[in-house]
Amino acid sequence: MSYLQINNLKKSFKDDHVLKDVNISIEKGEFFVVFGPSGSGKTVLLRLISGIMFQDNGNIQMDGKNINQLNPEERDISMAFQNFALYPHMDAFENIASPLRANKSDDETIDKKVKEVSSLLKIEHVLTHMPKELSNGQKQRTSLARSLISKPSVVLLDDPLRNVDAKIRFEMRLELPKILKEFNTTVIYITQDYREAMALGDRIGVLYDGKFNDIEKPRQVYNNPKSLTSAKLFGDPTINNFTTNVQINNGSININIGDEKFIGKNSNQNINGKYIVGIRPEDVQLSNKKSDNSIKVEFRTKTPLNLKIVYLIKFLNGVEMLCSVSENESLSIDENKELFLNIDYSKIHLFDSNNEETIF
Amino acid sequence: MKPYLWSLFKFLAYIAIIVFFLFPILWIFSMSFQTNDTILQKVPSIFFTPTFKNYIGLWEGEISIEGFATMYVFFKQNLINSLILSVFSVLVTLILGVPAAYAFARYKFKGGEDIAFTLLSFRFAPALLIIIPLNLYFTKIGLYDSYFALVWVYQLITLPLLLWIVRGYFEDISVDIENAYRLDGHSWLKSFFYISIPLARPGIAASALLCFIYAWNNFVFALILGSSSIQPVTVGALAFITASAIPYGLIACGIVVSVLPTLILALFIQKYLVQGLSLGAVKG
Amino acid sequence: MKISNRLFPYVLTLPALLVCVGILIPFFTSVYYSLLRYNLKMPYMKGFIWFDNYISIFSDASFWNTIRVSLTYTFFTVIIELVLGLGIALLLAKRNFINNLLGVLLVLPLMIAPALASLIWRLLINPNFGVVNYMLSFVGVTDFRWASHPDSVMFTLIMIDVWVFTPFIMILLLAGLRALPRQPFEAAELDGVPEYYKFFRITLPMLFPYILTACLFRMLESIQQFDIIYALSQGGPGESSMAFQVSAYLQTFQYTNIGKAAAMMVVLWAICYFLCFIFVRQWHKLKEKTRGVS
Repeated sequence: MSYLQINNLKKSFKDDHVLKDVNISIEKGEFFVVFGPSGSGKTVLLRLISGIMFQDNGNIQMDGKNINQLNPEERDISMAFQNFALYPHMDAFENIASPLRANKSDDETIDKKVKEVSSLLKIEHVLTHMPKELSNGQKQRTSLARSLISKPSVVLLDDPLRNVDAKIRFEMRLELPKILKEFNTTVIYITQDYREAMALGDRIGVLYDGKFNDIEKPRQVYNNPKSLTSAKLFGDPTINNFTTNVQINNGSININIGDEKFIGKNSNQNINGKYIVGIRPEDVQLSNKKSDNSIKVEFRTKTPLNLKIVYLIKFLNGVEMLCSVSENESLSIDENKELFLNIDYSKIHLFDSNNEETIF
Repeated sequence: MKPYLWSLFKFLAYIAIIVFFLFPILWIFSMSFQTNDTILQKVPSIFFTPTFKNYIGLWEGEISIEGFATMYVFFKQNLINSLILSVFSVLVTLILGVPAAYAFARYKFKGGEDIAFTLLSFRFAPALLIIIPLNLYFTKIGLYDSYFALVWVYQLITLPLLLWIVRGYFEDISVDIENAYRLDGHSWLKSFFYISIPLARPGIAASALLCFIYAWNNFVFALILGSSSIQPVTVGALAFITASAIPYGLIACGIVVSVLPTLILALFIQKYLVQGLSLGAVKG
Repeated sequence: MKISNRLFPYVLTLPALLVCVGILIPFFTSVYYSLLRYNLKMPYMKGFIWFDNYISIFSDASFWNTIRVSLTYTFFTVIIELVLGLGIALLLAKRNFINNLLGVLLVLPLMIAPALASLIWRLLINPNFGVVNYMLSFVGVTDFRWASHPDSVMFTLIMIDVWVFTPFIMILLLAGLRALPRQPFEAAELDGVPEYYKFFRITLPMLFPYILTACLFRMLESIQQFDIIYALSQGGPGESSMAFQVSAYLQTFQYTNIGKAAAMMVVLWAICYFLCFIFVRQWHKLKEKTRGVS
């Protein structure tokens, strides 16, 4: 039996069915990331787990016990809010000490523990400051300190790095797992940034359409998404996709692009029909030289992004595709000459053209 | 219009406004330091020797007048009545109103808006519509002429006021702050007293003072539902002025003393006045 | 979901709810009384006469006098206070020492109990020693009868009301003026728009919600005004200042005709309710219109 068990969780607001059927089993000590597009219900899920909101239907069990009827203060779950939710009329010290005051610890213990946690999070020099005197990064860490100090069984983190500037975000992304490991708690972490999800999580749960659609280790979700939506959520720029006729037999795959074809090696079963083909921008090769099985394409635009250049090209039949090429490689590409595109056949995804579920 | 003429017009306007609105207050104030000899002179005097005779008389309950014997002054009791009624009304309103304001701010519950609106409508209903039957009821059950009953009736005025202002203040507090406090392990009650109320304190204080002012200034409730033993200064002053042979300086003194508390309080809450006066419809 | 959680808001509002109910009882009692023949001096005659009270008051000349008095009072007080309040607010709109100081001081008359305001003015206009009479004698006005003559008592009452309540309008409109967004005015400056155009086409329309709110509050108070009138003239001389609630008061305590007084109050209540209704509807329409602005 897993530590945190959620079954058939359902929550609607009038006509908006935010969560339809959420099921998840989280192990003790796991760092579980809830990932999904904006509005998918991630924050709602966290509020249901913490008890500050009640579900319409469904069960939440912790360590085998049903906690549906428990008030938030009774659940041994803590939460760090996206907008920090610090108490404006108390200084940082009192903010962090609050959980310990709730369980009636004595002043000496409180003093010791607050200093411990705040030095771990590098904020002991601002303990006497009021929240409005703290920078966003400091507020963030105060909020974290408060949620960790009483060593709760489960810590919920609602996109904590969202309102923090880029430099701190990067630092925290490295520090956070280390800090959380010290406290040995089960963590549920929300983010909208797929890179953050993949960097931090033991497992990622992809939430959209009111339920978890993929629950996998990061690499798995990236390489084997369960549907086109999941595939689109991971990757920047997003995965290219177009509907076309595909045939696979005897280890060879034909993908039709208008009158031309991509032909390559692929060991999947026999397939013949209309499918959605998914190719990630980084799984293609652009070159001025024609090679076996490459197709001539027309250059459209070139966008330099950090460490990579994204080309937008067009096939003869009008389908457009984004290609992500490293800075070095792009030096040898001249967009004024003829361009040819080839794809990495081992990295193709095929989706059912009706329900967008992954074939492979 | 020529700028010179415009400036002159503005200057005259300022003078006129200051004279019309502020002069009466100053004059009454100065009258309170005069005796009948000074007051009854043909030409009203700006320069005179002030005397505290009226104030002392009000306080001690009796005043000696030249040519007459000492005269008993009942006014002090009115002041005490005003104080008792206003303070207790505000206390009751705070106890009833603050939790209710919280409920209206945080929860959308059936009938909630209706209750809130009904309470608001009391502010604008004709007082006598309610008071006349109340007078008859109270007399029947022996509540006529009691502080207790009057304090409850004052809620008609003070409760809607406090409710609508404090509700806005609670709405301005982010719910997550209260949620965070509960997730720390504190009960709802503790979050209400240690988070919600402290954060709404300016609004609660300001509306409490405003309620005090409205309660203090009330006239018609006490006129109808009480006799002279519990009547506040508003009613008492009227009786004062119509009583015979009262020195005018003393009357002015009574008015000044009746008016001073609200004037002073007003200076404290002038920041919140706009909100209070429009029942939160306009945010100052 | 816990049942106690659903009930919780009701628990919090329960006391306030009780007050609500406590008020509704006398309200319905009044309505009930208005349908009765009920005179305290003749309790044995108490009985249902349905709408006879209403018919009787509507055919009573003194009731129409009451309506006339109240409407006149309301009309003049609201108009004068609106114009004066707006004027003063415009005068004090710029933030400087004098204007800020006056903004605070001018609120003082509003903080005085209306009944006491009447008493203050009674002293000021006293025929024997009133300082106002003295000052008026300089401009040739002698022997102005103020509250002792039916022709001038309304003027006196309206003047006192204006004294007390103009600050109310002023403070509301001043807040409104100071809250107006600057862009439309800056754009008008750039376009070289004349002052009066700015005022009538930009300032005034944007102030409209505040004006409406102020108007509604004042109308409801003026039509129900008791304190000022009773403290000055008790409805006299004769019946020349017999406004609604003053009349009802006398009906109850002098003529002890509860039924009639109740009927009058119900009529007044209906008028107020109706006014509220119209204004709130206007308010909503306004909100919709100005949704695009700022």
